[in-house]
Amino acid sequence: MACQGLAKGETIHTLKVESESLKAKLEEERGKLHDVELHQVAEKIEALGQFVMKTRRTLKGHGNKVLCMDWCRDKRRIVSSSQDGKVIVWDAYTTNKEHAVTMPCTWVMACAYAPSGCAVACGGLDNKCSVYPLSLDKNENLAAKKKSVAMHTNYLSSCSFTNSDMQILTSSGDGTCALWDVESGQLLQSFHGHSADVLSLDLAPSETGNTFVSGVRSSKLHLYYPCGDAFATGSDDATCRLYDLRADREVAIYSKDSIIFGASSVDFSLSGRLLFAGHNDYTINVWDVLKGTRVAILFGHENRVSTVRVSPDGTAFCSGSWDNTLRIWA
Amino acid sequence: MDELDETQLKNHVDSLKQQLQFNREKTSVSLPELTKWIEEKMNEDPFLNPDILKDNPWVESSKCVII
Repeated sequence: MACQGLAKGETIHTLKVESESLKAKLEEERGKLHDVELHQVAEKIEALGQFVMKTRRTLKGHGNKVLCMDWCRDKRRIVSSSQDGKVIVWDAYTTNKEHAVTMPCTWVMACAYAPSGCAVACGGLDNKCSVYPLSLDKNENLAAKKKSVAMHTNYLSSCSFTNSDMQILTSSGDGTCALWDVESGQLLQSFHGHSADVLSLDLAPSETGNTFVSGVRSSKLHLYYPCGDAFATGSDDATCRLYDLRADREVAIYSKDSIIFGASSVDFSLSGRLLFAGHNDYTINVWDVLKGTRVAILFGHENRVSTVRVSPDGTAFCSGSWDNTLRIWA
Repeated sequence: MDELDETQLKNHVDSLKQQLQFNREKTSVSLPELTKWIEEKMNEDPFLNPDILKDNPWVESSKCVII
């Protein structure tokens, strides 16, 4: 027994040494190809002019912190989820609530609209991802049609339909991501690789949609949805960062001495030139991605901004906050 | 890292090996292309093109009428 224990310890030690040397080698490889900075490339590009953006709608109805939201592809409906266990489907244009469901758990940290607009998915501390089909009948009891699709061993942190209503990708506090078949609830593929809670995920914006990024603990990330070759993260250290997937490295940091509170969520404008970052100091910062400068600070929320998402056509973006409201900005 | 068991560590090492095989590009190649892509797309960006901004459905035109 003692011998076996020793052998095991040795293997672990060897593996640790190997992983350290591989990491160093990776850094070296990445460093070799870093021959120009983004601000140098963008030097000749014109700076952005004055920028006016206002709250155009305020959605009130949640009884507690708004934790997550997603746009419907119709560009006007929104699903949002809250700490109080409620999931609400809004017509953001008229600010009317179209559906509301109470989940059996608090902290509904994830919600997503199906591509067809006919269903929403959500979950949180129940460790599950449930799908609710939406009908035109607003009085219908949605809870009765609930379908449990995904099951994790810890809380659900994020979920997203792939390009169809048939499959859903989830991330969880159990350290894994997983792809599920909505109809049967069957696990199609499980993704391991993180050694900590996976907090967020986002699919690449391609038609085939077969790649995604996921992030752990302090960094909430959002894929560069425009072209799919880069993604951004917002982090507890109050910075946002841009990563180039082709160069396999970080290529820009968006920070200021005056910004000291963490960024909980980020998203890009349609062209990717603007980066919106929701912060814990109740503000939303708008960055010029290429120049690395801040072009606007948006005030309005009265508590932490937990989520920001640009609408599918890029005409507006929505922010959700711990002040129980969502705001549409344009 | 310390809390990983042998199997997890093995997976980790395999993943690092795979990452090393990853085909990388120089930033002098990838960044100008990324920049070009953004510049071309800026015309279609409702937040950046003033002509599209005018027709933004979320922005009400002024309801005041000068008599």
